[in-house]
Amino acid sequence: MRKLTLVAVATVLLAGCGGPTAGGDNADNKDIVVGVLADLTGATADVGKPYNEGMLAYVDNVNAKGGVNGHKIKAISEDYQYKVPVAEEKYKKFVGENAVAIQGWGTGDSEALRSKVKDDQLPFMSASYAEVLTDPTRSPYNFVVAPTYSDQLRVAIDHIAAQDPAAQIAVLHHDSPFGTAPLADAEKWIKNKGYRLGFKAYPMKAGATDHVGILQQAKAQGAKYVVIQNVSSPAAVVAKDIAAQKLDMKIVCLNWCADELFMKIAGPAAEGHLMIQPFAPPSSAKPGLQPIREYCQGKGVDLDAKGLHFVQGWYTMHAMVKGIEKTLADGKELTGPNIRAGLETMPAVDTGGVIGPIKFSADSHRGATASSIYRVSGGKFTEVAAGVTPKA
Amino acid sequence: MAATAAGVFHTSYASELRLRHTTAERLRLVLVFAGLLALPWLVNTYWLGIVNTIGIAAIGAVGLNILVGFTGQISLGQGGFLAVGAFTSGLLVQRAGLPVPLAMLAAVLVTAAVGTFFGLPALRLKGLYLAIATIASQEIIIFVVRRWGWLTGGQGFLDVDRLTILGWRVPRTSFEFVWYWVIAGLAVLAVVTARNLFRTALGRSFMAVRDHDIAAAAIGVDLTRTKLLAFAVSSGYVGLAGALTAHYTQTVTWERFTIDVSIQYLAMIIVGGLGSVAGAVYGAAFIMLLPPLLAELADALRARVPLLADQLPAVQAAAFGLVIVLFLLFEPRGLDRIWRRAKDYVRFWPFRY
Repeated sequence: MRKLTLVAVATVLLAGCGGPTAGGDNADNKDIVVGVLADLTGATADVGKPYNEGMLAYVDNVNAKGGVNGHKIKAISEDYQYKVPVAEEKYKKFVGENAVAIQGWGTGDSEALRSKVKDDQLPFMSASYAEVLTDPTRSPYNFVVAPTYSDQLRVAIDHIAAQDPAAQIAVLHHDSPFGTAPLADAEKWIKNKGYRLGFKAYPMKAGATDHVGILQQAKAQGAKYVVIQNVSSPAAVVAKDIAAQKLDMKIVCLNWCADELFMKIAGPAAEGHLMIQPFAPPSSAKPGLQPIREYCQGKGVDLDAKGLHFVQGWYTMHAMVKGIEKTLADGKELTGPNIRAGLETMPAVDTGGVIGPIKFSADSHRGATASSIYRVSGGKFTEVAAGVTPKA
Repeated sequence: MAATAAGVFHTSYASELRLRHTTAERLRLVLVFAGLLALPWLVNTYWLGIVNTIGIAAIGAVGLNILVGFTGQISLGQGGFLAVGAFTSGLLVQRAGLPVPLAMLAAVLVTAAVGTFFGLPALRLKGLYLAIATIASQEIIIFVVRRWGWLTGGQGFLDVDRLTILGWRVPRTSFEFVWYWVIAGLAVLAVVTARNLFRTALGRSFMAVRDHDIAAAAIGVDLTRTKLLAFAVSSGYVGLAGALTAHYTQTVTWERFTIDVSIQYLAMIIVGGLGSVAGAVYGAAFIMLLPPLLAELADALRARVPLLADQLPAVQAAAFGLVIVLFLLFEPRGLDRIWRRAKDYVRFWPFRY
């Protein structure tokens, strides 16, 4: 009996030394496989769903027009429920299906997958605009198409400092790497710029039905500005709480709550609050919205109802596809390192004003730096300032 | 040697203590090993990845079953102990530069120690009260690994390098294949040691404590020692599962070790069969296969029942709950018991018993 076990274990170990390489079927598949991580049912699904729809719409549109140099794009979209472990499983699946590039979503999963995409040499874009992802020495395969959260918060701080140099700022953030991503940079910014602003951060409890508790703390701090680094639904709850408590606070939403959804849920409570948003909403008249509108009309989709995250997803995929196009135009094989080179060397991607031209280089994967500042009035975006970058 | 279990009589203690008594049992063991050896050639990388997660879960479930099923000490702290194993091994490799096998061994020992510490309330508490005490340990451990910046260098998770075996870095294409042998080997080892544990005096004392602790004390079982040892042994297995998780997934994050995971493991041993080593393995396979199989089903039925695919996570959660309820109603002793009944049916046919 014991011998039998030993023999079996030995066989197992031996077999491990000289097995086949259990890879998938590679070779002459003409489709360009792109893995897409989406949050359709998780904590950030309210904004994740339109973003994902925008990406898939872009792919559909490209394929309908004959694809990229005759290659169809095959987007494998998987819902990972905003859970890092699930994201890793889905990522493995993409790798198994020979994806050449990945479109990610959240900060937690993008940072957790950062070393894996470096290992596997797969270009990775995400809807996470954390600063660490823009540095090619630390994250060689991550690309960030929009101004980072840190840049957005810097813009917010500059703006607040110009309005009220001694204001107290409370940052209410998602209790996750996404939420905490810009905090340290912001504090440094205040110090380096010599601002007299007060700054305190408060994690928001996930799934909370009200945020009165943190608002009381912010009130005790004397906060006049409440910067929110979270998605629209909880941000709208904060807006309602502020209105209900009759607090004298102005919300500044960073890009993931600076959208139509925030205004819709918060209703009149959203009035007068500020938004930092790098992407142009569908209600603006930017020429870059035209192709999206045409596609949506053809499909019977209401772009205004989908909102700006649809546009955001569309142009993020656009940037990735442009990099792939460049790689093919250079006559190179579609491998991760080649696509990375393509993204780094392609000319600035013109988005028709939806977001400042997206430009990567070998030293920087920071695609854009400018955001616009909006004020909510009459339930609509009213531009306060366009194309604002953090003060030099 | 008898061909089947009908009419097996023992003439010596050694023969009674044997793990397998009949030719049929041995034959099945050979078949299982043949299956394990052939498996990686039969499934693609995606499914092999799932098989690997089953292997890790099986080690953890065997550990939990030692505590809950064999010793009767209910624990909802599984996720926390997995976290201890994962962080210990990950940190020792990444920061102290220890080789992976040594780090995993250390993880087993550290988790056993931590498990023993959090097992202390079991000396005074039973049943529901102990369950709440172990939830406390779960939450404390998760709080520590989530908020203690030093553990993750402030980034919220810990990167672990890809496995290297004697200087050979496992390539991406054969990643799952190589891991299969590592995990399968350790899982077999875990199952064999657990099976043998219950032939020893220590294993028997675990069961005595489960069946009636006062009676056990009366016949000379040291309750303190036995309960704490049960926590130590169980947590050791769980630590191994945690360490494997760390090196296999290459990312150690608290999100992987929440109370949901503790409940999932409890479900594994309920579905598989409390107080059965084989049951823990069946349960691990069942619970880990349920979500991907449902995903396949939803995909296949996408055209006809789009709801299934659209609401997949909700469907998966509902199926998970339904499975537990159905097992508790119809076969509280789990898959292991179903398998035994199936064997008996064949063995005694055409008679009922």
